[in-house]
Amino acid sequence: MSFEHEPRVDYRNAVGVVTLTGDVDIVQAHALRNRLLGVVRNEDLGLVVDLTEATYLDSVGVSILFELAERLSERQLRLAVVLPENGIVQRVVTIVNLASVAEIRNTVDDALAAVES
Amino acid sequence: MRSRIAADRLRDLQRITDAALAYLPLETLLDELLVRVVEILGVDTSALLLLEDDDTTLVARAAKGLEEEVERGVRIPVGRGFAGRIAATRQPVHILNLDEAEVVNPLLRERGLKSLLGVPLLVEGSVLGVLHVGTLTERAFDADDTELLQRAGDRAALAIFSRLTERERGLADALQRSLLPRLPQLPAVSLAGRYLPAAAARLGGDWYDAFALSDGRLGMAIGDVVGHGFHAAAIMGQLRSGLRAYALDGMPPGEVLERLNRLLRQLEPGRTSTIVYLVLEPHGGLLTVATAGHPPPLVHPVDGDARYLELPSSVPLGAARHVLYDEQEFELAPGSALLLYTDGLVENPGEPLDAGLERLRATVQRGDEDLERLGDAIVDELLPEGPGNDDAALLVVRALPLSDTLLAQFPAEVESIPFMRRLLGRWLDEAGATAAEIDDLSLACAEAAANAIEHAYGLAPGVVELRASASNGGVAVVAVRDFGSWRPPRGTHRGRGLLLMEGLTDDVEVIHDDEGTTVELSRRIGEEAA
Repeated sequence: MSFEHEPRVDYRNAVGVVTLTGDVDIVQAHALRNRLLGVVRNEDLGLVVDLTEATYLDSVGVSILFELAERLSERQLRLAVVLPENGIVQRVVTIVNLASVAEIRNTVDDALAAVES
Repeated sequence: MRSRIAADRLRDLQRITDAALAYLPLETLLDELLVRVVEILGVDTSALLLLEDDDTTLVARAAKGLEEEVERGVRIPVGRGFAGRIAATRQPVHILNLDEAEVVNPLLRERGLKSLLGVPLLVEGSVLGVLHVGTLTERAFDADDTELLQRAGDRAALAIFSRLTERERGLADALQRSLLPRLPQLPAVSLAGRYLPAAAARLGGDWYDAFALSDGRLGMAIGDVVGHGFHAAAIMGQLRSGLRAYALDGMPPGEVLERLNRLLRQLEPGRTSTIVYLVLEPHGGLLTVATAGHPPPLVHPVDGDARYLELPSSVPLGAARHVLYDEQEFELAPGSALLLYTDGLVENPGEPLDAGLERLRATVQRGDEDLERLGDAIVDELLPEGPGNDDAALLVVRALPLSDTLLAQFPAEVESIPFMRRLLGRWLDEAGATAAEIDDLSLACAEAAANAIEHAYGLAPGVVELRASASNGGVAVVAVRDFGSWRPPRGTHRGRGLLLMEGLTDDVEVIHDDEGTTVELSRRIGEEAA
């Protein structure tokens, strides 16, 4: 299924890095959820979701991130989320306390380090 | 004596064509006509060829004693051979001995024809096709024969012309109706479109389209496929579908045109089309434009002179293999009008293009607030004598200024949420909110709307109402109301929705009454500015 703002997926060693752009919201949720759950490979240590290029994140988008963290943790894997230092996406992530299930960092390199450690 | 025989023959012919005209399908009429021509003139074959839309080729459409001509779909270039010469010169041609003449169609020789007589089918001075008869033995056709065949040809031409125009008109209408879009209804945006077919009822390749993108922005396009006829119209339909498909996949205007260029070159090598595609963000008025050789859109700012957008020169779609189409950005402030058009609207024979462009500019400048009336005025002013030789299309859009109190209703569907968010964003911007406040309140409003859509109506269709007002003290109150039955939010993400509403505003109130539920969000705005 195609949807707007196709996520970019890149693998750095044993960690997938997914960059989400545009609106991460109720309209895109269904396609995005299926896409994200398929990104993690068997041999991976974890997953990094880069939200620095996302323009919008609503509660449905947040739920996908929580579900992703839960699924990863069932397999002893870790989720790290890269956030800009301010803006609506950063405020939303803070309000819902995503930090309770994922490592929150400001750069992809820091996020990779958090997953691999 | 001879002339009375000729008169009798002509009456015969007249009877069949006149009677047939009333009810026979065109193909049957032509067949009947050819049978009669063979009988009356005492010849062995008769055939009728019609000119293609492109005016360069004759195609066999009906034949008697020479049926293979139609079956094989014989095509004769105008100007060449027997029939081609008749079409080119618009004069009867008589060949006494085929062995000594240039003939394109091998069938005539294969069939063993010796003598030929052909006349042009003329209507209002233009050639529609060719009617010819042939004999297996040598025959010197005389002036009476030629006159009779020409009279038969004239009748056939009239019948064909009326059927063609009737059919073309019917098809043109149907095609036009099916290809002209139903313009989207967006809150606080008004749109009007016009399509004017060419006077000769020939199908043209002009089209326009406007549609809502799923993120709440508005996509608009206008284009002009080079050429006429059904083929150009069919290509226009394909380009329109292609553009919508790429646009709805979220591609930016430049990339949409690059893909359309590849699509057109694949579908129809050698065919070109101009087009301009724009995306308008009603909130903030950001207009992103990419053009492929199309005349520039016209903008009439709310407090300024109408002017054409300055766009870099570009090549039409289909003209080159690898083309990068640049995007330009403009501001379209609320209240401003934007006008897209095709050259059929501004081009007049015997007048420089600038004169037409200036007339359009002046008409828009003093134009009506109401876009439907503005559309009518433009057509009246630019095409005072009705449609010209070319078809013309026109699309006007205006982002309407919002009032102090915002009130809008949306279908209770997930797809409405981006539109609500953007409309509220635009209103908050005009009310003096900062970018961060707009983001926060819009998101809180979207969460309230998602709640209403998911929980108030179940599967039944419903409506969600958005209200917003600002107090003198600088507090914005945004109310999202549904008219369904309240059910407590279910599922964790709805719980997070409430958490976000509370986190992003100063106060959230949920009010239930007999008619439904209202979520009222309050937040102080304009803080950074204060």
